[in-house]
Amino acid sequence: MNAVEINGLTYSYPGAALPTLTDISLRIEKGDFLAVVGNNGCGKSTLCKVLNGLIPHFITGEFQGEVRVGGASTLDSDVGTLAQKVGYVYQDFENQIVRPTVLDDASYACLNYAFPDYLERGKKALCQCGLEGREEEYIWQLSGGQTHLLALAGAVSLSPDVLILDEPIAQLDPMHADRIYEVLRELNQKHGKTIVVIEHHTEYIADYCRHVLLMKDGQVQWLLPTGEALQHVAELEACNIFPPQVTQAAYRLQKEGKLPSGAPLPTTVEEGRAAFSALRCRLGAAPAPAPRPAGQRAVSFQDVSLSYRSVKGEPRTIFDGLNLDIRKGEKVALIGSNGAGKSTLMKLMVGLLRPQSGTISLFDEPIGAKKAEDLSRQISLVYQNPEEMFIKDSIRADISYAMQVRGLPDWQARTDALLERFQLIKLQDRDGRLMSGGQMRRASLAIGVALEPGILLLDEPTANLDIATRREIVGVLEDMKDIIQTAVIATHDMQLVCQWAERIIVLRGGRVVADGTRDEIFARQDLVDLVGIRPPEIFSMARALDPQALCYTVEEFTNCFQEA
Amino acid sequence: MSTVQKTAATQSQKLMIFVLTMSLYGLATLFTELIPKFQVGLVEFSVEYFLFIPLTLSMLFDPLSAALGAATGELVFSEIMLGQFGGLGELEKFLTVTIGVYIAGRLVRDPKNRAMVGVAAITGTAAQLLMGTIVDIAKVQFAVEDFEAVAGLPESVFATEGFAFLNDLLFSGIFFCLLPTLYLVPKLYGKIEPLLGMAPRVAASTTSGLSPKAILTCVIGFVCAIVAELAATAGMSLIDWEAEWAESGTALAAGMVVATALAVIILLVMKKNGERNAVC
Amino acid sequence: MEHMMSKLSESILDKFSMDFLRSQVLKNAYGNDDTVIAALDPRILIVWYLFFGVVPWFVNDLSFLLGCFLLVMVTTLLAHVAGLVLFLFALGVFSQTGYLFLATLLFGGDASAIPPLLVLTLKVATISLASVTVFSGLDPDRLSNGLMWYGCPERLSFSICYAYRMLPMLMEEFQNVLLSYRLRGNPPAHDTLWGKVRYLIYQVKIIMESFYPLMLNTAKRSRTTVEALELRGYRYAAVNKTVKKIKLSALKVSYNDLLFLALSALWVALCIFCSTLF
Repeated sequence: MNAVEINGLTYSYPGAALPTLTDISLRIEKGDFLAVVGNNGCGKSTLCKVLNGLIPHFITGEFQGEVRVGGASTLDSDVGTLAQKVGYVYQDFENQIVRPTVLDDASYACLNYAFPDYLERGKKALCQCGLEGREEEYIWQLSGGQTHLLALAGAVSLSPDVLILDEPIAQLDPMHADRIYEVLRELNQKHGKTIVVIEHHTEYIADYCRHVLLMKDGQVQWLLPTGEALQHVAELEACNIFPPQVTQAAYRLQKEGKLPSGAPLPTTVEEGRAAFSALRCRLGAAPAPAPRPAGQRAVSFQDVSLSYRSVKGEPRTIFDGLNLDIRKGEKVALIGSNGAGKSTLMKLMVGLLRPQSGTISLFDEPIGAKKAEDLSRQISLVYQNPEEMFIKDSIRADISYAMQVRGLPDWQARTDALLERFQLIKLQDRDGRLMSGGQMRRASLAIGVALEPGILLLDEPTANLDIATRREIVGVLEDMKDIIQTAVIATHDMQLVCQWAERIIVLRGGRVVADGTRDEIFARQDLVDLVGIRPPEIFSMARALDPQALCYTVEEFTNCFQEA
Repeated sequence: MSTVQKTAATQSQKLMIFVLTMSLYGLATLFTELIPKFQVGLVEFSVEYFLFIPLTLSMLFDPLSAALGAATGELVFSEIMLGQFGGLGELEKFLTVTIGVYIAGRLVRDPKNRAMVGVAAITGTAAQLLMGTIVDIAKVQFAVEDFEAVAGLPESVFATEGFAFLNDLLFSGIFFCLLPTLYLVPKLYGKIEPLLGMAPRVAASTTSGLSPKAILTCVIGFVCAIVAELAATAGMSLIDWEAEWAESGTALAAGMVVATALAVIILLVMKKNGERNAVC
Repeated sequence: MEHMMSKLSESILDKFSMDFLRSQVLKNAYGNDDTVIAALDPRILIVWYLFFGVVPWFVNDLSFLLGCFLLVMVTTLLAHVAGLVLFLFALGVFSQTGYLFLATLLFGGDASAIPPLLVLTLKVATISLASVTVFSGLDPDRLSNGLMWYGCPERLSFSICYAYRMLPMLMEEFQNVLLSYRLRGNPPAHDTLWGKVRYLIYQVKIIMESFYPLMLNTAKRSRTTVEALELRGYRYAAVNKTVKKIKLSALKVSYNDLLFLALSALWVALCIFCSTLF
């Protein structure tokens, strides 16, 4: 029996010239765990909104063809009936939560559809999503990962047969991401739900999904079992989907003739162990450890303590006597799980938060003594959410704003140069919010460096981006190394950390638990377990083959592992 | 089928506008409660409104949803959330804000026409302020019983309220309603609509224009606002507490004390029994 | 004057921290859900409020008003209301009557203006505190259920809950937008009086302008919210009587509620008794 059947579906948004979905025919088996992949704008989200009846019942437009969910046509059912068959979790899931407390939100839909046992249903859904014991908590007390689980519980509470999640782990650290997928696996295997995820983290697809659906330009390219789907490396890469690093490495080695061609490519570390078993690690000259420049202290924290007022009871302590120096010229990555204090540390550096005790100095001058306009010349912060950086009605105005109000003589020319450098010339008159994710990121970086600050802080510069855009941003960051002397990035993205950072600071519960180069950090298994950071998959692969190997990128891996 | 779809879509769009205006204006009024007011002589310089927010949105979208959203936002965020709920007076505020914003929104036929936007913004503000002033004067007059008898009080109330109206209109009205609206409407036009999945408002749109029906609705609303205030005064003479006490005297009051005290004791005993039963 | 100006200009963006505001509002909304007042039935409290929020307007008897004022003061203390709310209350009372007093003096009034104004102040204070007790003391959910029981539109009770849910997010976003201005803007120097005036104007302008990005960002949010509401049956529930019944079945009147009413009534009766004596 099929959970979803689509026949000849063509759909265009109201007023759109071209259809977003073109002639789609598709069957999703009951109990499947399906990943939908594809370029930005290929119609993935639109397809999902067709399944839950938002299209065409709520969002109008031109709708042709037939969509059947659980045997019933979506055209004949109303959104309410469909919601009990298909649950949907948005990418910006926090806007989907409308009630102040956890149990309340989880049972909200059941209450609205007049189930007398709505509280029990809500509790059951929370239990299924691993949120038991938090029923009475308020939403803002939850972490990002828990909020996402709650959004999921809200959808699960109606016990739909199909669950759709739009980019479920885009904003989460690896530990929380694992948690979400474990919950999804349990819902799939134990409770027999059909699960559809829009996902571009192919490592997770390889680990958890059963089938992969590739979409391109509003059409279905193919629907294949995961193992088979990830073999189509070239085709996926053409759509800006990057298979797991293990698969990429095997693909390259196969091309170079170092692995037998024709053998299936491994998709997980486990499979890789067998596939690469013939290879031996030839430790090339270890990359020279990045010299620790004993330059001037750019940022210095001395005995900094900070606690937040909490709604109830004792204030929550974030930092207690923190000491940390960041020197001029360093490229620092701040890592740690959600809530470890990374963003708070950055807010302290730009003077947004004031510590209860201790001093923070920029270039050996306490922040408190500085004027705001001096401060902004020295340090600049690029937010995690680029939309909050757009305060004007065009990108050009946003980039030039800081220079213009300071009356820099050549602000026009410098704006032009920045637009050029970040490839924003064509977009310069558009409002930042109406651009794509990658364009927004580029624009926010350009805004951040406009005043040529001595220190640049970046909060999660690659969050919410698909892999291709992420690569592009990493490229931009590399490219910026010459204009920015000192940079600090707070991130969960270990590939970015490995490629870019010269020094890694690991935060846990407001304390620095480790500080060193990537080799020093990732080689320590105890640390990896303690903090829940996860090295890039290729690093784990190399270590699985040879405990001494330190490979951070696919290139390093293919260079390092050769035929014995 | 198709008609059902159409109404569902406009319903949802209205809800979106309601939610949007409510959140934004609510947040803004929360600040107005907190930004200190100060006076130079009689001139009160206060950031009385962020009324430009609902004004702008009512010109870009469905005026009624924006107007109701704004009034609800103020009620919920700044009155209920901060515990500043003033009873009947809030109904008056709710209605005058709704009417003012609604009038402004209906006056605009084409959001790209700056003159039209400006006239609408100032008209809406003036309407809201004027209604507020009339109600305010009535309020003080009825609250202070021997209003006319107090030397200087009536004149001072009329003078301060009248002055406040002019001052608000010229100061808050221009700086906080007219100018920001003129700044925002053209900037947002064509940008904010796609985010909500709507088509921008055009001259031919049916939501614009002030029909006699709309005016009638506004007038009825204002009458309700005044009635809400006058209900208090009417009630005063009807209930006439003081007269009642004077006639029945101390005995009745003592009776009330005894009766309520008895009620308290009985309830206490019942509660104790109830708890004992629950334990057993 | 200059002192006042400088205080004012500092207070808007610098001293008046959004974090503080946010925590106060949250504290007010949810930090006191374990108090005596919060445990009471919302319907009973609303009835109670209707008495203390309306009756004082009609009464001009000083000892009665004083009694009512004392009672609502006690309930306000019981409700553990956040400091900010009390401060606003004080400010509100002054702005309603204090300035009127000054104006009366200016127009040639004398001491005879004081008693009626004192009565007016007591009225305003009692009514405000009664509303503080009920609206700050109750958590928003119970409050909206109570209002719904009395037949308030569903949209109002939805708005109350939604507002409490959204406020922390909205404030954070607003804070970040303001931070953008602070980090990238160039405020005028504010050492002289003229500089301070300009700084104040600058700040007000920034707050105004920051609503441009805020409007667009919030618009994006509302779209998801409204779609999600549709999926979660909000519109369906709004017209369904059973849903309302289920929702309200959670409300129960206990002895404590009746006791609260009876005690208040006893106090009021005592006040009336006193006022007839004197």
